[in-house]
Amino acid sequence: MSTLRTGQKVILFTCSWHAYSCQEEVGRLGKPQTTAVIPIRLSCLGRISPGIILKAFENGAAGVLLLGCPEGHCRYESGNLEARKVVEETKSILKLLGYEECQLDYQLLPAENPDQYLEVLHSFMTRIQDSRVTT
Amino acid sequence: MNKFKEVIQANRAWYCLDCGKCSSVCPITLHIVDGYTSPRLLVEGALASGEETTLEDPLLWSCLTCQRCSEICPSEVNFSDFIQGARQLAQDQGRSGRCTHSGMVQSWMRMMADPSLEQDRLGWLTDDLALDQDSDTIYFPGCLPYYHAAFAELGFEGLEIARGALKILNVLGIQPRILEDERCCGHDLYWQGEMETFQMLGSLNLDLIQKSGAERIITTCPECAYTLRTTYPEVIGDLGLDIFHLSEFLAQQPSLKTTLKDNGSEGEKVTYQDPCRLGRFAGTYQGPRELISELGYQLVEMDHNRKTSICCGTSCWSTCGQVNKDLQSSRLEEARHTRAELLLTACPKCQIHLKCAQKEPGKSDSSQLTIRDLTTVLADRL
Repeated sequence: MSTLRTGQKVILFTCSWHAYSCQEEVGRLGKPQTTAVIPIRLSCLGRISPGIILKAFENGAAGVLLLGCPEGHCRYESGNLEARKVVEETKSILKLLGYEECQLDYQLLPAENPDQYLEVLHSFMTRIQDSRVTT
Repeated sequence: MNKFKEVIQANRAWYCLDCGKCSSVCPITLHIVDGYTSPRLLVEGALASGEETTLEDPLLWSCLTCQRCSEICPSEVNFSDFIQGARQLAQDQGRSGRCTHSGMVQSWMRMMADPSLEQDRLGWLTDDLALDQDSDTIYFPGCLPYYHAAFAELGFEGLEIARGALKILNVLGIQPRILEDERCCGHDLYWQGEMETFQMLGSLNLDLIQKSGAERIITTCPECAYTLRTTYPEVIGDLGLDIFHLSEFLAQQPSLKTTLKDNGSEGEKVTYQDPCRLGRFAGTYQGPRELISELGYQLVEMDHNRKTSICCGTSCWSTCGQVNKDLQSSRLEEARHTRAELLLTACPKCQIHLKCAQKEPGKSDSSQLTIRDLTTVLADRL
């Protein structure tokens, strides 16, 4: 299912709740997945920081995708809102470094929705496939 | 001779008299609560027990390399460079300090070491600022665009400093050039002992600057000025041109005074934070003070000023904890006691760190204190 070029990697951050349940469902249903995506599960996306996202790009990620809980559904009340702020701040730093805006994205995803999860992931990989080549 | 002994030898650590004067002025030692350590004890451990003791000492990474200890040392032990050398050895062994901000700044510095990187860092320029890409003067904004993006929430002036510097230079009839592909000078990586990346950044800058054919560089960051002027010739290569911090350059421009507009702040009390790399490292104390005087302010010095000035509390984006916050709060208290409502500094990082400390709950009641860069205050008066 990957539309990325050989060697390109995507780092996918999810919290333990909504998006992660989608990920589990994809595995449980045996739907095809790609090794180009490296999923990292956090307790809550409120844990994310610009430094963590930049580290992924420093280590050669072609893109970083964060999947958070829908508004009003964060188990820690405001983690998904905090994550949005962090993503915006990090985007402005990445722009200075010459990265394209599409290489970092943040989407909200309701629980137990494996098809939408795969669609969001596929769409992200399609958008970044021609962006700046990273090493 | 092994490498550790070379570090001892090069920085005169053998000459330590065990007098403890360094410990009495070290801002970290003063605020340590647990695990007491001091420059004297670290050097004593280095001489008596060797490398491992030094590399395990918490001061190895928490030292601000502010040079306050060397300023008072009767034996001229160069403790800051000793720490830098020991950190290099520690890095070679895979050890490192604790990064602040989840390593964000270190990441963008390392990313800038990639020769193929094509930055988009000039979006902040406005039409009213005149540049000339054939100018003999380079304005070197350093990481200001990055800090602006990262620390906007603190009310950090960031790009206002860069725009202010260009406005001042324009008024003086100088239309500088800016290097589109300028990289971080590498100051923080150098002082953290991360030499390989520092050399990569330095080589890219050296090549870019030498090819430009310019004759001088003006920067608004004391760390950039010190690194380009002093560290590059020692480690990377001589850039072969004059390097100024803006306050040093303006001290040579008497015409600036006649262009300053009065804004009714004549006689208003201000205080000044000497940045370590501009003050103790470069010996520039008077230039910024003269500019403050030309602005018509009444400068009220903090208890610790000039050579005895206290660091803004964190260096190299590493090891910021309670000790640093206490140190910063105590510095803000000093500023408050001057009864000045404006604290001026000439270093972007001083501003970031002190503004961050102002937000620390339950610490210094310095909320009335406005912290600004000398550059932006000057630019506002043109």
